[in-house]
Amino acid sequence: MGTIQRLVLRNFKRFKALELEFDPELNILVGGNEAGKSSVLQAIDIVLSASRSKVEGIGLEALFNVDCIVEFLAGTRKIADLPVLLIEVYFDGLPSRHDLDGRNNSKGGDHLGIKMMCKPVDEYTREIQTILAEGHDNFPFEYYGVHFLTFTDEAVFPYKKPLQHLLIDSSLINNEHATREYTRSMYAAHASVAQRNLHGFEYRKAKAKFKDAVFKTMNDGLDAYKFDVKTSPKANVETDIILTEDNIPVDSKGKGRQCFIKTEFALRNREHALHVLLLEEPENHLSHVHMRKLIERIRASVKKQLFVATHSSFIATRLNLRKVLILSEDNPSRPASLKDLSTGTAEFFMKAPDNNVLELALCKKAILVEGDAEFILMEALYEASAPGCSLDADGIHVISVDGTSFKRYLELAKLLGIKVAAIRDNDKDHAANCVANYEDHVTASIQVFADPDNARHTFEVCMYQDNQVACEELFAAGRRSLSVEDYMLKNKTDAAFHLLEKKGATLVVPGYIQQAVAWIKA
Amino acid sequence: MDKSVVFAVAGSGKTTRLVTALDETRRFLLVTYTEANHENLRAKVIERFGYLPPNIAIYTYFSFLHSFCYRPFLRSQKGTRGITFNAPDRFPAYSLTDDRRYMSPSRWLYANRLAKFIEQAGLIGAVVARIEKYFDVFFVDEVQDFGGHDFNFLLAISAAQVDMSFVGDFYQHTFDTSRDGNVNANLHDNYDAYKKKFERARLKVDTVSLKRSRRCSKSVCDFISERIGIDIQAHDERTSAVRFEDDPAAVAAIYRDPGTVKLFYKEHHKYGCFSQNWGASKGMDRFEDVCVVLNPGNVRAWKAGSFRDINPETRNKLYVACSRARGNLTFVPESLLTGIVRI
Repeated sequence: MGTIQRLVLRNFKRFKALELEFDPELNILVGGNEAGKSSVLQAIDIVLSASRSKVEGIGLEALFNVDCIVEFLAGTRKIADLPVLLIEVYFDGLPSRHDLDGRNNSKGGDHLGIKMMCKPVDEYTREIQTILAEGHDNFPFEYYGVHFLTFTDEAVFPYKKPLQHLLIDSSLINNEHATREYTRSMYAAHASVAQRNLHGFEYRKAKAKFKDAVFKTMNDGLDAYKFDVKTSPKANVETDIILTEDNIPVDSKGKGRQCFIKTEFALRNREHALHVLLLEEPENHLSHVHMRKLIERIRASVKKQLFVATHSSFIATRLNLRKVLILSEDNPSRPASLKDLSTGTAEFFMKAPDNNVLELALCKKAILVEGDAEFILMEALYEASAPGCSLDADGIHVISVDGTSFKRYLELAKLLGIKVAAIRDNDKDHAANCVANYEDHVTASIQVFADPDNARHTFEVCMYQDNQVACEELFAAGRRSLSVEDYMLKNKTDAAFHLLEKKGATLVVPGYIQQAVAWIKA
Repeated sequence: MDKSVVFAVAGSGKTTRLVTALDETRRFLLVTYTEANHENLRAKVIERFGYLPPNIAIYTYFSFLHSFCYRPFLRSQKGTRGITFNAPDRFPAYSLTDDRRYMSPSRWLYANRLAKFIEQAGLIGAVVARIEKYFDVFFVDEVQDFGGHDFNFLLAISAAQVDMSFVGDFYQHTFDTSRDGNVNANLHDNYDAYKKKFERARLKVDTVSLKRSRRCSKSVCDFISERIGIDIQAHDERTSAVRFEDDPAAVAAIYRDPGTVKLFYKEHHKYGCFSQNWGASKGMDRFEDVCVVLNPGNVRAWKAGSFRDINPETRNKLYVACSRARGNLTFVPESLLTGIVRI
């Protein structure tokens, strides 16, 4: 089965340059709002469609990287330096397609692939020169040509497209045009060319029959002018078909149901039907139950290469963290892959309760804490340790992690080069629990912070001891059997919440947390 | 690995042999020299299988050279626009390492130097690897038409480790599109030396399998062997009439007969009848009776009893024309036709 092996972008949308290597089965694209997940899907969609009219419909101005245009206009404006937009899709598993196999690609090696290139048309050089000489800030997009070529530099013909693909964008799920495109693609995937020709022919015949039988009386009463039914290219089978479920048109259902049905239908395993499925934020409009069902369907799908752009940790972890590609907002040309994550860790996250994996994966600095109490108080403790600073301003995320799974998160952080301060309790044995335990995980950018005094064995004990007066004042009233310290240990989150409410601004920060803050800020 | 070059005579079933050797599993690369033969071969393949099987790729030589051997490797880098069959200017003479030697100022590749350009770019090995990667069998039809750099290129890529069979008819060499200066200028002067070149490239030379014509009668074959001096034998003992006709009324009747094709040395279209040129009739297999029109010089040769000593290229074309006949072969003087048609 043919698959997409690699994508190379030059001057496309937010990417001046990007290169992504893909998994033959599943690729989960993750990133912040402006990281370019959708752009990656769009780039693949554009090249696999090989449709100039599609590109012209979007407009070159919307596809070109803004920075390269600005830089060109601000520079010496030489014809030779005019930016070129390039999308290359490299294929694997297409053994007989020598028409795709050549060196006309940015790698210069023998590869199978298709590219889209937007570059100035040579014949217009003189006109472009004139426009550029005028010195205004309009870029001459009109003089650019759009080319779809294989790596043998041969034009791509629609009937020779190597892979059938479909893009399902949940944000456009109710859009009329997108719905029509979807229905048409699915129809094309489920009916052979011969079948489609037959359908078209029979449809036209049925219309003629309708006219002859039903319009007869009316038309007989007319002489020169008669009524007929349209049979033009704008009114044929492909324009008139819709998809139904239990005889109800799918596009009259709710958005969530539509998203689910459309994705589910596209995922069905039918030989040669679809090779590549691009899913844009499938979590949109879906209830948790449906999301779970959809994930099951995605996991069960075979003989298709899937690309899923998502914000959802749930989808990413449940599908397989190792298939995640992370696109960075700040450094768009340096994507990160989680394929080197250990199987154990990937499987752990697949089974673990809902978690914040993507939050960690997408940040640059994080403080991992062991429980809800630490999580609640962390911001106040941070501000107390570093007066005038805040977590948000410093770009530091606080993530609450179950104590036993610290190492799973640290492995992820190490792989992605994220600076992490892990704050935990010493549980009465600092040397064993907090030092030896993490020997293999601590690096220059990953440190574990805990109180070295084994008597100060939990966060609550440290907080109580360092803020004894405040704690007594808050919690002593009404205590009969429990000491204040024991009360705090038994009601961790409530105690933390009250401390934050009443004493947030005046808390004394335990030493190891101060150290953690100082280190992570640096 | 079976590699051979089979020299055939006209009408011995070259194309049939090629098409019969095809199947729907092995990956075949078929290269013809002329457009006409490409069409012919394509039609025969479709006739055999009912469709064009996806494992069979049929190219004309220059489309093979450009799209399979050149474009995948060099198109983007060299920024060329395609092939031109215009001859390169003799001056200025660019060196072998100068791209301008191989392309026009507007970046069209000169057809007759393209093979040399690929060799010069050091790509022979890559082309061989590409053939090996995508094909199991390599057939070349009309191998006699390869000349100049193209002949060297063909022998160079015959190093590919795939089954290989080249077929051709030495005496049907009529095209010379491949010529570049004196490269292989004397290639077709000596049949034995020509065969040796293939042997040296480790191809078995077979002059036996296709030495009998199925199309031509014994009478036509005997005539060609004796009078034109090209050795051809008939597959059976069938006879037909071979004669010279100079009775004006009889010539006029032949001229009007839609069942007899008139083959002219050149400009057949001016005569407004069922006709073709000698050279261009190569590969055509649909004529029954054939009328070969002789210009005054060739009429003299007929009267002298032999065409052996006429210009070799003309002689080859005459051989092509005569060997189109399945039935009778009639010669008529051109002068009698110019009387009928106003030219």
